[in-house]
Amino acid sequence: MIDAFIDGLFLVLQWKAFSLMLLGMALGFSVGLLPGIGGAATLALMIPFIFKMNPAEAFAFLLGMHSVAATTGDITSILFGVPGEAISAATVVDGYPMAKKGEAGRALGAALMSSLIGALIGAVALALAIPIVRPLVLAFGSPELFMLSVIGISCITSLSGADARGQIKGFAMGLLGLLVSTVGQERQSGSLRYDMGMMYLWEGLDFVPVLVGIFAIPEIIDLAVRGTAIAGERPSEKLSQGVMAGVKDSFKHFWLVFRCSVVGVFVGILPGAGGGVAQWMAYAHAVQNAKDSADRERFGKGDVRGVLGPGAANNSKEGGELIPTVAFGVPGSGAMAILLSGFLIMGLTPGPDMLTKHLAITFSMVWTLVIANIITVILCLTVLDQLAKVTYVRGGLIIPFVLLLVFVGSYTANRQIADLLVTLVFGVFSYFMVLFGWPRPPFVLGFVLGKIIETYLFISVARYGFSWLLHPTVIFLLILMAIVIAYPYFQQRRYSAKDGDA
Amino acid sequence: MRRGRVLFCIFLIIVAAHAIRSALQWNFKAALFPLAVSTPLLILTAIELFRVITAKTETDQVPSVDLDFSSDVSPEVASCRVAIGFSWIVGFIAAVYLIGFPLTVPVFIFFYLRFQGGVTWVGAIAVTAITWAGFYLVFQRLVHIPFEPGALEVWFRP
Repeated sequence: MIDAFIDGLFLVLQWKAFSLMLLGMALGFSVGLLPGIGGAATLALMIPFIFKMNPAEAFAFLLGMHSVAATTGDITSILFGVPGEAISAATVVDGYPMAKKGEAGRALGAALMSSLIGALIGAVALALAIPIVRPLVLAFGSPELFMLSVIGISCITSLSGADARGQIKGFAMGLLGLLVSTVGQERQSGSLRYDMGMMYLWEGLDFVPVLVGIFAIPEIIDLAVRGTAIAGERPSEKLSQGVMAGVKDSFKHFWLVFRCSVVGVFVGILPGAGGGVAQWMAYAHAVQNAKDSADRERFGKGDVRGVLGPGAANNSKEGGELIPTVAFGVPGSGAMAILLSGFLIMGLTPGPDMLTKHLAITFSMVWTLVIANIITVILCLTVLDQLAKVTYVRGGLIIPFVLLLVFVGSYTANRQIADLLVTLVFGVFSYFMVLFGWPRPPFVLGFVLGKIIETYLFISVARYGFSWLLHPTVIFLLILMAIVIAYPYFQQRRYSAKDGDA
Repeated sequence: MRRGRVLFCIFLIIVAAHAIRSALQWNFKAALFPLAVSTPLLILTAIELFRVITAKTETDQVPSVDLDFSSDVSPEVASCRVAIGFSWIVGFIAAVYLIGFPLTVPVFIFFYLRFQGGVTWVGAIAVTAITWAGFYLVFQRLVHIPFEPGALEVWFRP
C-alpha cells in the first residue's frame, strides 16, 4: 500500500506526466473562467488526445484540467457575479457582494484557499475511503438516493429568511425551481411537459442559461443602475492584504471549511448529485452555523463564510466523485462518466483491479488532485491582486465584457439563439425576484435537484411500490430530513431567547 | 412597490395554476411530480399574496439570504437605468439573431463603450479590435464553437 502510494507520486512527477498535467491545468484554468464551457464538456473534447498516452499521463492531464476548472470557476463568480461554472453559482451569493464592498481580494483569497483545503480533504478521502466505501455505496439504492436528494431540498429552510414569511417565500421558490426542472420530455413515459409547442424545450432547460440568467443579469442591471465600479466609491482595500485576509479566513473558520469539505466528499460519492448540489448544501450548512439572527442576516450580503463553504465543497467533491468511479465504475457525475471512458481507452477496468493491480495509478490520481490544486492556488495567489483591481474599473467599461461572457456562456449550452432568450427570461424574472425579496438560492437548488428527485422517485415506486418507505436507511434519512428542516426553527428560537437576554 | 409585489405574487399564482391545469391532462406518471410541486406552490404564493395585501406598512420586507439592490440612486433614475440596461441586453440578442455572434461582438462592444461607457472614439475602436481578436482566437479558432449565421445573412444569401 505504502509502496503504491509512493509509486503514484513518482508516476505524476515523471516529466511527461507532469508536463501534461500543467497543460491540462492551463486548459482547465481558461475553461473555469469562461462561463458555460463546463469542465465536463472540456473533458469530452480532450478525450481523443489521450490515445497515445499511458494511464498515468492521461489521468494527470484529464484530472489536472478538471480539478482546476472547479477552482477558477469561483473567480468570475466573485468578480462579476457570473458563475464561471454551474458548480460555482453558490459562490456568487456572498462572493459578489464582498466584491461590491471592496473586498474582492479577500473573497478570492478565501475561495482559493478553501478550494485547496477542500481538494486536499477530497484527495485524502479518496485515498482512505476506497477500501471501506464499497458497503456504503452498495447500501444506497434509488429510495435512499431519493431521500438524500430530498434532504438536499430541505436545505431550503437554511437558504431562506429565518422567519415564517421568509420560509414561505423560500419554499415557494424551491417548488418553482422543481417545477421548472420538469419542463421537457418526461423520461419514463415520454410525455412532453410545458414545452409550449417548442422543440427547443423537449430536452428540458439547460443549467447554464438558467443559472447565468438568474445570477448574472440582476447583478449587471444593478451595476448599470449604480453607474459606478463594482466596488462602488469605496476606498480600495490594500489588495495584497485583502488576499491574505481571505487566506487567513480559511484557517480562522477551518472547522467550517472542513465540515463543508466533508459534505462535498459525501455528495460526490453519491451518484447523480454532483457539484451543483454539494455547493448549495455546503452553503446551507454555513448559514446554519450563524450565531444569532443578526449573524444569519449577514449571509447574502457579503459574508466570507458564504464563500468558504461552497469553495471547499466544490473541490472536495472531486475526490468524492472519483471514489465510486474508480472502485465500482459507477460515475458520480457527468464529468466522471466521461472520465470513465478514459479508463476504457487506457484498457483499465474500474473495480477491484484498480485497488490491487493498478493501485499505483489510483494513487497517482490522488496525487494529481493534490499537486494540481496546490500549483493552481499558488499561481492564482500571485495574480489575485491584479484580478481584484477589476472591481475598481468603472461599470460602463466592464458591463459589455461581462454581458459578452454571459451570452457566449449561455450560447455554448445548446448553440441556439433560444439559449440567449432563456437567459434573458430568467434574468428578468430573477431581477423581480431580488426586487421583491424572493430568494434565488432555493430556486436554483430546486432546479438542480428536480430531475434527480423525480427520476429516483419513479424508480423507487416502480421497483418497490411504497414499501421502500419502510427501508431502515430511508427511515433514518427521513428523521435526518426532519432535523434539517426543523433545525432553523430551533435556531430561531435560540436566537430569540438570546436577543431577549440581551 | 406593493403593487409590484402583488403583481409578482399573482404571476406566480398564474404559473402554478397553469402548471396544475396542464398536468391534469397528462398520464399519471408524467403528472405526478408536477402536481406534487405546483399545488403547494399555489398555496404558498396565495398565502404570500394575502400577507402582502394585508401588510400594514408599504415597506414590509423580510430579510432573505440574497442580494439587495443598491438604494443610493433615486427610484426615478434607477427605473430609467434599468430600462436602458435591459434595452442593451435585448439589443444584443436582437443583433445576434440578425447579424450572428461574430459580428455582434465588435458592434456591441463598440457601441456600448462609445455611447454608454463614454469612451473616446479611438479608445472604443482600440478596445473593440482587441476584444474581437480575443473572441475570434478563443471561441472560433481554439474552442471551435459553431456560431449560427445571422438571419440577414440567411435571407440575403444567394
